[in-house]
Amino acid sequence: MKKIAIIEDEAAIRENYIEMLSAQGYQVSGFADRPSAEIAFKDALPDLAIVDIGLGHEIDGGFLLCQTLRTLSKTLPIIFLTARDSEIDTVCGLRMGADDYLTKDISLAHLAARIGALFRRMEALEQPADANALITRGSLKLDTQRMQVFWQQQLVDLTVTEFWMLHSLSQRPGHVKSRNDLMSDAKIYVDDSTITSHVKRIRKKFIALDNNFDCIDTVYGMGYRWEQR
Amino acid sequence: MLRFGLRSKFILLSCFLFLLPWLGYEYVWEMEKFLRQGQEKTLVGTTRALATALHERPALFDEQTNFLDQVVKGRDLYAYNLKNPIQLDGKLSDWQSYQPLFWHYDKRYLQKTDPEHKSDDLSFDHMVGKFDNYLYAVFKVTDDHLIYRAKNSLSITNNDYLKIGIKSPNGDFNTYIIAPRQDGWVNAFDANTKIPFTKIQGFFIRTETGYNAELRFPINMLGNKLGFAVVDIDTTKAPLDSKIMATSNLNNPSDLGSVLVPSPEINRILKGMGHSGSRIWVVDNHHRVLAQSGTIQNADGVWADGLKNQPPKNAWQRFEQTYLHPLYYKILTRPENEFLDTLHDVASMQGAHLAKALKGQPASSWRLTPDSKAVILSAAYPIWIDDKVIGAVIAEETTNGVRTLRNKSLEKLFNVILAVMLIGTVTLFFFASRISSRIRRLRDTAEQAIDAQGRITGSINYSDSNDEIGDLSRSFANIVGRLGGYTNYLENMSSRLSHELRTPVAVVRSSLENLQSLPQNELSQKYLERASEGVERLGKIITTMSEATRLEQSIQSNESEPFDLQKVINGCMQGYQLTYPEQLFELDVCQNPLPMQGAPEFIAQLLDKLINNALEFSEANTAINVGLKQSENKAILTVSNTGPALPEGLTEHIFDSMVSVRSQQMQQQPHLGLGLYIVRLVCDYHKGSVTAQNNERGNGVVFKVTLPLQS
Repeated sequence: MKKIAIIEDEAAIRENYIEMLSAQGYQVSGFADRPSAEIAFKDALPDLAIVDIGLGHEIDGGFLLCQTLRTLSKTLPIIFLTARDSEIDTVCGLRMGADDYLTKDISLAHLAARIGALFRRMEALEQPADANALITRGSLKLDTQRMQVFWQQQLVDLTVTEFWMLHSLSQRPGHVKSRNDLMSDAKIYVDDSTITSHVKRIRKKFIALDNNFDCIDTVYGMGYRWEQR
Repeated sequence: MLRFGLRSKFILLSCFLFLLPWLGYEYVWEMEKFLRQGQEKTLVGTTRALATALHERPALFDEQTNFLDQVVKGRDLYAYNLKNPIQLDGKLSDWQSYQPLFWHYDKRYLQKTDPEHKSDDLSFDHMVGKFDNYLYAVFKVTDDHLIYRAKNSLSITNNDYLKIGIKSPNGDFNTYIIAPRQDGWVNAFDANTKIPFTKIQGFFIRTETGYNAELRFPINMLGNKLGFAVVDIDTTKAPLDSKIMATSNLNNPSDLGSVLVPSPEINRILKGMGHSGSRIWVVDNHHRVLAQSGTIQNADGVWADGLKNQPPKNAWQRFEQTYLHPLYYKILTRPENEFLDTLHDVASMQGAHLAKALKGQPASSWRLTPDSKAVILSAAYPIWIDDKVIGAVIAEETTNGVRTLRNKSLEKLFNVILAVMLIGTVTLFFFASRISSRIRRLRDTAEQAIDAQGRITGSINYSDSNDEIGDLSRSFANIVGRLGGYTNYLENMSSRLSHELRTPVAVVRSSLENLQSLPQNELSQKYLERASEGVERLGKIITTMSEATRLEQSIQSNESEPFDLQKVINGCMQGYQLTYPEQLFELDVCQNPLPMQGAPEFIAQLLDKLINNALEFSEANTAINVGLKQSENKAILTVSNTGPALPEGLTEHIFDSMVSVRSQQMQQQPHLGLGLYIVRLVCDYHKGSVTAQNNERGNGVVFKVTLPLQS
């Protein structure tokens, strides 16, 4: 049974999530603040942590907790679930090594799906690669099972959302995917500008590896497409 | 309405500086009054000094006629001091300047009264004068029948003749007759002995109306009595009827008129006073002038000594004399040395001051010359012999000295005042300019700090100066700062609100979802669905609210890139045509590239919002017009639709955060009025502008976005 830790200062939400996730068959433990969570984590790490950024009187308690968790484990999947939706916070959270950054208006089903995806990714990482799960588009290789992306044989470190967006784009090269398409494929409900910034981040991650990367094409007013070069 | 700036007000106020010259003038005027009083006193002092020299010296006055109780004009003669020698030629040109002093003798002076007498028959003009050691007498006789002395006649009285009665210094009384035989040189005869008397010489000449006669005799012949008679005989046939017109009765020595010859002794004493800068007279108690010295033209007292106009020595004095003095003397009057003087040559002096002095009281008086060019100050002081006033000393001066003094001090005063006024006005002007420019600068910054939409566009640079304007600028800066904070608070309201709402919404949503996972009866399922729907809507509102904030944030962190505006707009329009197949779009988009620097996705978002807005408001079955054209180095994007016009007064504000003009029916969907706010944000980011106007026909709205192109 997978163990999930929810660190959330709002009791009602915490309880709701705990109940919901428990019903889905996870073993869930909830913490109201950072110290209590850290004490618990010293004894045993969960398989996945869902962290709120603002914890009680600590405005950035979640970030601190994330850093602590990363020192304890490099691979532990961490999801930020927070009311804060600013660009800075998102970027900050992802940079700290979180695997996903979700806002609180997400539905429980969506959350469950994301959690499922993360667990699948963890499992996939441990299993040998399956040739069928590989999508190859020129220099791009997508391992859907292990949720890994390679560009010119180098691993591109994408978050789950970014992975699904790239997956959606690269499945049918040359076809324009609207923002709505990308949103539903990545199973997120955000506004258009968030999609734009996600795409931008994906581009930046590729450009960090290859200066000449220009395979993601913006079709103004319509969406994006994967352009095979 | 007429608007007075600070500067003009200051200049108006500085006009009060013009009171300064007036005050100065008044002051100098007062000073002049004192100076005049001083001059008066000095002049009285001068007369007193001279009078002191003449007191108790009866010898000087004995010879004169002081014993007379009264002096009769015409009878008592006065020998004027003649300025030039008289040529005995019968012509009166030598006497021209003394013409006013001639005394006219008419029938009043006839020895025997004759009411039938006409002035044609006999009358004459006469005066006596003194030059050197001679006494001169002139007669201008009107006589209708001139009869000369017959050539062989021994008689000297059977013809027209002049008779002279003289009382000699030792008291002898002699009469002499001038009976000319023809025109020309004549001598007198002794009236008693009929022997020619050559000491009295004269010249006789016939004129159209009668004859002229000029006489001369040594002054030492003369005591203090003298009389002339003109005897007219009109026929040589007996009985001789002679008319005698005389200055006084020559037949009786005691009736003889007096003659006053200016006293040489007193003149000598006067001469000593001649350097006092005054004109001085000594008069006897019959107001007759005994001696005179000095001329009034030069008598300006001692006041102006050393103040005479000097040639300018340096540039300043040259400037002063060339430019300033002509200006000053428009107000001031320069004392003139050329003026009319009624007392030029008078035998007898009149005046209240003299009358008073002859009563024993020193007095002074002012008078204006007839041509009003000068004021003459006269002072009189009595001369005493024993207890009797024997005469008076009169000194006269013009006030020209005082006036010169006054003018000099006014010149100096005006110089100073002019400088003070000039400096004062200039200083005030600069002060006022500085203040008004500071206030204008403050006004400009204050106006620039808030734009037409009422947003704070910048902070005010306050000045450090430690005065009221500095205070004002600081308080302005303060106000703008606080206002900025408040505006910022309002603008961040939506993001904060969305952040705060998200948690309770998450509570409700998660609870509802958990509830939904439980078995429900039909009714509660219905309510659950409604509740979920409500939460969904709430979530959407929150998302919209944070959209603008997030755009602001991404604008801040966005790196601008070059792109082609035309391509972006065209691409977007293709997308809209696909997305909204029912809607008709009319495009007027130029096809040449419009290079821009910025973020193309923001532009796409801007167009999104404008198109959304147009879709929402446009009437069914009408087209949305989208235009894009280049105007100089600007791109102009217009989106217009038919539909309700914008309410008046709101055209500026529809681009503000949380402003919506939707009618009640259109409020079905949650709307926060952030769409056009986003449009404005994007425009601002690209340094462009956006306006909304009702179209010309008033049946729709035109949004016009102006974006600068990259040259």
